[in-house]
Amino acid sequence: MRRAAALALGLWLTLAAGGAPAADRLRILATTPDLRSLAEAVGGDDVACDSLVPPGVDAEAFEPRPTDLVRLRAADLVVRVGLGYDAWLDRLIRQIGEPRFYRGGAADVDASVGIPLLEVVGQGVEPEQGHAHGVANPHYWLDPANADTITALIADAIGRVAPSLAGRAAANRMRFLEALAARIAAWQERLAPDAGAPVIAYHASWPYFARRFRLHVVGLIEPKPGIAPSPAHVAQLIAQARATKVRAVLHEPFEPIDTARLIAERAGARLVVLAPSVGSLPGTGDYVALIDHDVETLAGALAAK
Amino acid sequence: MSGVALSWSDVAALLGAPFAACVVFLGIHAYLGIHVLRRQIIFADLALAQLSALGATVAFALGHLPTSAAGFGYTFSFTTLGALLLALSRPLARRIGQEAFIGILYVVATAVTIMVVDRLPQGAEHVKAMLVGSILTVAPADLRKFVMLYGAIGLFHVLARRPLLALSDGAGGAGVRALVWDFLFYVSFGLAVTSSVAAAGVLLVFCFLIIPAVIGTLFARTIGGQLAIGWGVGTLASALGLAASFALDLPTGAALVVVFAGALALAGLVRYLTGGDAAVRRRHRARLARALAGGTLAVLFASALWLIAQPDADQPLLDALEAATGIGPQPFLSAGERATFADAVRDAARYRGEAERLDRLEQASRYQGEPLDPDDVRKLASYMQSFNEMRRGELFVQAALRARARERARWWVGVPAVALSLAGGALLLRPLPRIGWRGPIPKRIL
Repeated sequence: MRRAAALALGLWLTLAAGGAPAADRLRILATTPDLRSLAEAVGGDDVACDSLVPPGVDAEAFEPRPTDLVRLRAADLVVRVGLGYDAWLDRLIRQIGEPRFYRGGAADVDASVGIPLLEVVGQGVEPEQGHAHGVANPHYWLDPANADTITALIADAIGRVAPSLAGRAAANRMRFLEALAARIAAWQERLAPDAGAPVIAYHASWPYFARRFRLHVVGLIEPKPGIAPSPAHVAQLIAQARATKVRAVLHEPFEPIDTARLIAERAGARLVVLAPSVGSLPGTGDYVALIDHDVETLAGALAAK
Repeated sequence: MSGVALSWSDVAALLGAPFAACVVFLGIHAYLGIHVLRRQIIFADLALAQLSALGATVAFALGHLPTSAAGFGYTFSFTTLGALLLALSRPLARRIGQEAFIGILYVVATAVTIMVVDRLPQGAEHVKAMLVGSILTVAPADLRKFVMLYGAIGLFHVLARRPLLALSDGAGGAGVRALVWDFLFYVSFGLAVTSSVAAAGVLLVFCFLIIPAVIGTLFARTIGGQLAIGWGVGTLASALGLAASFALDLPTGAALVVVFAGALALAGLVRYLTGGDAAVRRRHRARLARALAGGTLAVLFASALWLIAQPDADQPLLDALEAATGIGPQPFLSAGERATFADAVRDAARYRGEAERLDRLEQASRYQGEPLDPDDVRKLASYMQSFNEMRRGELFVQAALRARARERARWWVGVPAVALSLAGGALLLRPLPRIGWRGPIPKRIL
């Protein structure tokens, strides 16, 4: 009996010692690793961040697990991409039934609010055509300038649920954005010689990236995700790639590579694998590293041409 | 997209290798399919393919690429394990049917694969590629490998045809000897299916395996005859499927499967209309004509009743008729409503055009001219959204007017259609004239 008590005490002490800082910290649960990385930049040491979609997993094909409900219930803030991209979050929230996570609730952050959206379709929140691109193209985090808006929303929300952290979050954010602004200028300079470069992309993930870095996305290999492109479409793309002198085929690690390789080979373009989100390729561990990796990889490929 | 000319060399390069792959796959699968049909193990290929996918996934989890020797080793071991389990399950066939066991093997292999994939970063796409395949991107180098592998499997089946066919016909006896032959059959089957599934996907391999064999068995009794027919029809269907996929802009694998199924339906029809002596053939022709007429009348009758019961629900037959004739709901609208409908159609097209124009404007600004500032992009986005909403409004107006027209068509179209189908049915139910009736069917029966 005494031994059991001692064991329990020891266990409690270990948990208390190891767990205290984490328990004190504000728990931010993002849907994607990209938003998690930005939340970390804003929250710094005051927050413990996690993402529902693990790094390297396609967020559009994500299937939540029972443990995700536990993590969601324990979270102080939830940050989502919105635009129907992570619509599965709503099902999880309904299941645990906590009003603070409902749209517009105190603990809900929809990071797309205020973003200058591209390829706007309409009002529907549910994905159209069985595809997670609902209201507009959701890949807005790939324009690093949009980090300004996203981090502003996160900093606001931190102030809302933990007013004592508001000042530090705002300061962290300013520091992060200053450093990021310098990087954006450098990235733009890196890709400036390739302004207007015609490229083909596998999937419609790159409009925001293309706008920031002035790329011309001539065509998409898989216009409807999950449905293999038809030979007519592939032949058209090859012909079009030759006519517009496409220099690179942008590919993503989640997608089957055969068609992209075939088009690149026949059009004489380079096949470039870019990371669509944090952690989807080695060397893309955080937000800045992600953009840096994509810019460097693309610049290298275009220069070699 | 449309302004670019296609070169025929591109098209030939794009479709040549897939066609050759289809022919190579057909070569071995049509034959294995005959075995599969005789053994009644239709879904064994799925179970073995899933087990080999599990093997490839485990190899991947341990850090081996699927194309490496270690990767192949794992895949082959799991396929062999599957072959052993299938061979051992043969005695079950007498009591509960082997298909139950095959189904269990399939779901367990799938479930374990999902669990292993779950632990892998970027695992999902690897298994997806393994099971979906893409016949469009088969490389000529792969083709050579397939020819060699299938040649070896084919040779084994030629040499061991007696015991293998006896087993498939359920006459192989029992004991260790039968078990070993059974095991060897499943290993060869697993090897063929595993390699083809990775290249062409589960759907297509199932189709290559079963449909030519079924068509062959419809028309011939000997293995040779069944094979010749299966190969011939399969090759033709492959060429047609690839051509359709190109001409109609369809996903290749799915288009091939549908064309194969169409070939099977046609073969069944031909078999029905040409089998037996002259009297039987005549009877079959008459029956078919009556079945077609009866089916048409039944669809008409059901659609008419549906229109009367629920005029504002989906009316597939009426929709198809309106789309085919281009008439639309106009006949049942007043002059004013007709004008509103025409306006709604015109405005919907205009708003769509406007939204697309703005989208093109924004897309062009990404890489040429002065970049737009964020507020310009927001403004464009909000205009585009407004245009899209307005277009939706016009579509809503069209839908409302169409519903109103349907409401009126309810009795004017529904009642005569019911009467027509009933009258046709009554005519059809009269006995056929038995003597001296040849040639085309009289109009009153149709």
